[in-house]
Amino acid sequence: MSLIHVLPLPLVRLGCALVLALAGGAAAADDFLPTDWKLSGFGTVGLVHANTDQADFSDSVLKASGAGASGRWSADVDSRLGVQLDVALLPQWSAVVQVVSEQQYDNSYDPRIEWANLKYQVTPDVALRVGRVALPVFMGAEHRKVGYVYSAVRQPTEVSGGVPITSSDGADLSWRWQTGDLRHTTRFQYGRTDMALSAGVRLRARGILGLSHSIDVGNFSARASVIGADVTVNIADQLFSALAQFGPAGMALADRYSVDHKRFSLTALGMEYDPGDWFVHIEGGRQRSQSLLGTNVALAVGAGVRWGDFTPYAGYATVHAQTATRTGGLALAGLPPQLAAAGAALNGGLNQLMMTLPEQSTVSIGTRWDVCENIALKLQFQRVTPHRNSRGTLINAQPGFVSGRTIDVTSMTLDFVF
Amino acid sequence: MTFSIPSFCLTLALLAGIALDATAAELVVIVSARSPAPALRTDQVAAIFLGQSAQLPDGASITAIDQLVGSPTRDAFYVRVAAKSPALLKAYWSKLLFTGRGQPPREVDGSTAVKKLVAETPGLIGYIERSALDATVRTVLVVR
Repeated sequence: MSLIHVLPLPLVRLGCALVLALAGGAAAADDFLPTDWKLSGFGTVGLVHANTDQADFSDSVLKASGAGASGRWSADVDSRLGVQLDVALLPQWSAVVQVVSEQQYDNSYDPRIEWANLKYQVTPDVALRVGRVALPVFMGAEHRKVGYVYSAVRQPTEVSGGVPITSSDGADLSWRWQTGDLRHTTRFQYGRTDMALSAGVRLRARGILGLSHSIDVGNFSARASVIGADVTVNIADQLFSALAQFGPAGMALADRYSVDHKRFSLTALGMEYDPGDWFVHIEGGRQRSQSLLGTNVALAVGAGVRWGDFTPYAGYATVHAQTATRTGGLALAGLPPQLAAAGAALNGGLNQLMMTLPEQSTVSIGTRWDVCENIALKLQFQRVTPHRNSRGTLINAQPGFVSGRTIDVTSMTLDFVF
Repeated sequence: MTFSIPSFCLTLALLAGIALDATAAELVVIVSARSPAPALRTDQVAAIFLGQSAQLPDGASITAIDQLVGSPTRDAFYVRVAAKSPALLKAYWSKLLFTGRGQPPREVDGSTAVKKLVAETPGLIGYIERSALDATVRTVLVVR
């Protein structure tokens, strides 16, 4: 059965007409307003299937569920809606608010302010933004939630999944400049973030300091970025305080793995070549932290061809933990039986947590179909393999989860912008 | 439905071929006759219309004026200058818009209106069909 046969074509056409009508309506309304404002948005309706009952496949560790253990089919992996209001206040001042609704850890779709900032255009090439701004970590990190702008269903979780922080509260300065045919954009960023990861668990990043540099020349673009922060995640606090009661060895373990004011850094380099008829991209990154966040390297490559309205593509992504993904934990020999049992439980708990240190590779193939100018349909097949005791980027690992087994993931999405 | 993907795509390609023929007219990139702007290369024009550059090679500020979404002149311009189909261009601007890095150029309806606006305002740059060209504006690039 071909793609054409399974899609409800009249429905899609109707959607196209609706989106265009809405866009036209908004433009007409603009003319009557004194300030220059623009309402736009993006969204994805997605359905994912994973052939496992051992864990959930999802696009972020911040989600409550995915496809797999919570149900073979899931609409929560990719579905989201984003709305953005841009207001031009004065010639050099503008403001923007973007609100995104997607599944959160508490299973709600409560909208979250993705970013909200005030921009001052110092010169046509220098801009200062204050407020909540997007973090320019990887090449695609800023527009990760806007499925319409890229070919694949979602960006590789191996690369993006490690840093679920997409914004920072503070300021950023961007400077655009040129040397010959090379166009440069340099960005400095300073800020902090505080977000709920799950009930009672918060991620706090202080002193986020970022520097990124992009170059564009012809059809080639590249970005190098480095970001550092002081990170605290109050995950498994009880486990670590219990460990610390086991003398110096226990304290050393707690200190090694707790995420309490730990230095976190990320370096990334990405390149893309896109002459229009086809494209290829490659991106690599290294994350470092002496904690449960781990030290790892990630690499993603992808390529596709644009064949009329169809864009078939293929990709490979891998993440490799550069630290042990298991620990012997506390030495239990010679301890009184009761203490040894408590120690063994703690060791088990710690190793359970360490399964989140990512070690995984994924092969993807798929196609994008640009149905009309605002809507794209995508169908993607992936083989996801976590290994070395890791659960990879999977969530909700069930008791008895075995690392090393390949999971087949099928995704269908409809992406739109308006 | 009985048609297959290859025949469907062939139909699409044929339709696209017809559409391309209809707009094969030469396009010219223009500035005001009063503007001292030098001749530009295709990549320099692409950078200005894609919001990557707000300056001419001589350092003067420049602002792009676009034709309406869906107009054949616009579609032909971006395919030839930036190798971007309407869908690719939409994706490109969505990327910039939703990361706060830029807004697409202001749109004006038709070559005559673009020419009028550009002629009146040095500092603007637009593109029109060559047949609409007159002495109020100056060509900085012929797009073939």
